[in-house]
Amino acid sequence: MNKVLRIDMENLSHKWENVKPEHQTYAGRAFTSITLSEEVDPTCHPLRAQNKIVVSPGLLAGTLAPSSGRMSVGAKSPLTGGIKEANAGGLTGTKLGSLGVRGIIIEGAPPDSEDWYSILVGKDKCEIIKTNDYAGLGLYELIGKIWKDYPTKPGIIGSGIAGQRLLKCAGVFGNNIENSDPGRYAGRGGLGAVFGSKRIVAIISDGTGGTRPAAKDQEKFDAARKVFVKSLNAHAVTGRLNDDKGEPFGGLKNYGTNVLLNILSEAGGLPTKGFSSGRFDKAAKISGEAVHDLVDRTKKKFGDKAEGKYAHSCHPGCVMACSNVVPYEDTGKMHVSPLEYESVWALGANLGISVLHDVAELNRLCNDLGLDTIEAGNTIAMFMEAGLIPYGDGPKSIELLKKAYDESSVEGKLVSSGTQTAGEALGVTRIPVVKGQALPAYDPRSIKGIGVTYATTPMGADHTAGYTVAAEILGIKGTVTDPRDLKKAELSQAFQATTAYIDSTGYCLFIAFCILDDDDGFNAMKDTVDSFLGQDIEVTSYGKDILRKEREFNKKAGFTEVDDRLPEFFRTEPLPPHNVVFDVPDEELDEVYKNM
Amino acid sequence: MLVNVKLYATLRKFAPDGVEIGEAFPIEIDKATIDGVLERLRIDKEQAKIIMVNGTRITRLDYALSPNDTIVIFPPVGGG
Repeated sequence: MNKVLRIDMENLSHKWENVKPEHQTYAGRAFTSITLSEEVDPTCHPLRAQNKIVVSPGLLAGTLAPSSGRMSVGAKSPLTGGIKEANAGGLTGTKLGSLGVRGIIIEGAPPDSEDWYSILVGKDKCEIIKTNDYAGLGLYELIGKIWKDYPTKPGIIGSGIAGQRLLKCAGVFGNNIENSDPGRYAGRGGLGAVFGSKRIVAIISDGTGGTRPAAKDQEKFDAARKVFVKSLNAHAVTGRLNDDKGEPFGGLKNYGTNVLLNILSEAGGLPTKGFSSGRFDKAAKISGEAVHDLVDRTKKKFGDKAEGKYAHSCHPGCVMACSNVVPYEDTGKMHVSPLEYESVWALGANLGISVLHDVAELNRLCNDLGLDTIEAGNTIAMFMEAGLIPYGDGPKSIELLKKAYDESSVEGKLVSSGTQTAGEALGVTRIPVVKGQALPAYDPRSIKGIGVTYATTPMGADHTAGYTVAAEILGIKGTVTDPRDLKKAELSQAFQATTAYIDSTGYCLFIAFCILDDDDGFNAMKDTVDSFLGQDIEVTSYGKDILRKEREFNKKAGFTEVDDRLPEFFRTEPLPPHNVVFDVPDEELDEVYKNM
Repeated sequence: MLVNVKLYATLRKFAPDGVEIGEAFPIEIDKATIDGVLERLRIDKEQAKIIMVNGTRITRLDYALSPNDTIVIFPPVGGG
């Protein structure tokens, strides 16, 4: 039986509640966004007691459905001022799913507290524990310490140094399966700072005594999940590591998400040096192919002692395994895990840095400090744009980011405060944000549809909210939609709605590469959800319901159509090499939510 | 006719040994089309999912090539 855990941080109490009858089909993003829209005043200050944190494992988390263990974190975002959902893999989704916890709602804040707390969730139990010894630690040290204190190998999510200091670049970290890295981030929107505002370092999920969630129609569920595994394994993007001849086959397993770096650069859509070019001439050096070669090289050199990996799963039961462990070249030991496309872009191409070690080190520092890599990379770019650090200077960027450890360093605070805040403080006029959140790794001038998503999603600039790139560049779903075509409202809306559904199921969004291409895969995926719930869920209308609630929240928070626009320089500065501007008319942008 | 080719991801195995990631290598083709390039390199059409000529995406395998064109070929890829 699913329960909702409600925690009041004002008086350090908790209670278990039943899932409301009208919320029975909600989990993941549906649960976080709909709970926020019902319970949180959209005009509240995001870092004060009136805001709430909602954590919810996806609907199928803890089941044997493939790649279904993701978990959503929601709150009013201190970065955007609007509603926010960020999701991640790691262990917590699976643990909470197996414990029958549909959601955790954290409200209030300890008045004038100097103390720090952690929340231990287990089978029918919850403890709010004073953990001052967890505060202020680097997150590699923290997760190691927690697994010593709790030897049951729990899932851990929470805030790092940046979040504890209420800074807006702060993501919600998560430990990985091996507990070797805190890099499973629900990164975006500054949600780590909301944890900090409630004086919470960590939520520790102990799965002891948990059981696999049962489907309403278990037989149908089991049949469907098996078909779905086959479909994922057979697809060239999501599929198995090697083909029958032993040659590399699945793109994600071999090269990770960073397989995209070269293609975006070749297509002229890779934002380079602060969105001043669409092509990075040194992209190959930090690409997924380069990481693949580095892993192979160090395996050959160090044998059993080599720690580098590709085809690494981000959560238990993920069959796509797009994660990796990036080794040090000279020792073969782990440097950081994972190194993803978005992070390589934000901390590499976007800064003109082409030394793989430096990019990995910047990512490791973000993971340790509790920073969202996309926001942090864009924030460092503001320092470069202002002329304080030259573009391409890895060592100086590392030096800057290390200042974030020092509580008395104003530069350290600024680099942890987000792109808009840093850009404005440093006199920069080319600030790549929508609703205060920095753009990710696709330039909207050469790929118009993703620009429509950036502009209109309630999340602020976010590629995952409506990944039209799949149709515009990657040619998923047969034919390619021309990235230069301006009529993109319908495409973006369709992707946004489907995404909202997937984000609620626990499935990783990357299943989309397979299910959009393969009808059998799509039907099997949908069958798992429907047989689990015992009712037929219409994908698009389920997604649209969530989007409408999110949009409504933002409207009440004060957002208007004017907030659904890209910064001016995208409309006026042509992007080399194709020399294009973002010329989608405002009316087309407004079309996305007009008739939803 | 001489053209330059870049192969990425799982297609790198079709490049000559020693070619770096992202490095273009020259090939001599008899048939001046994308088809001709794929045949020459023995790449399955299904594997050549994304093809660009001099930075522009093309979809027709009979697309006519000119001397010294740069052809970039990717297999199906996805990420995010």
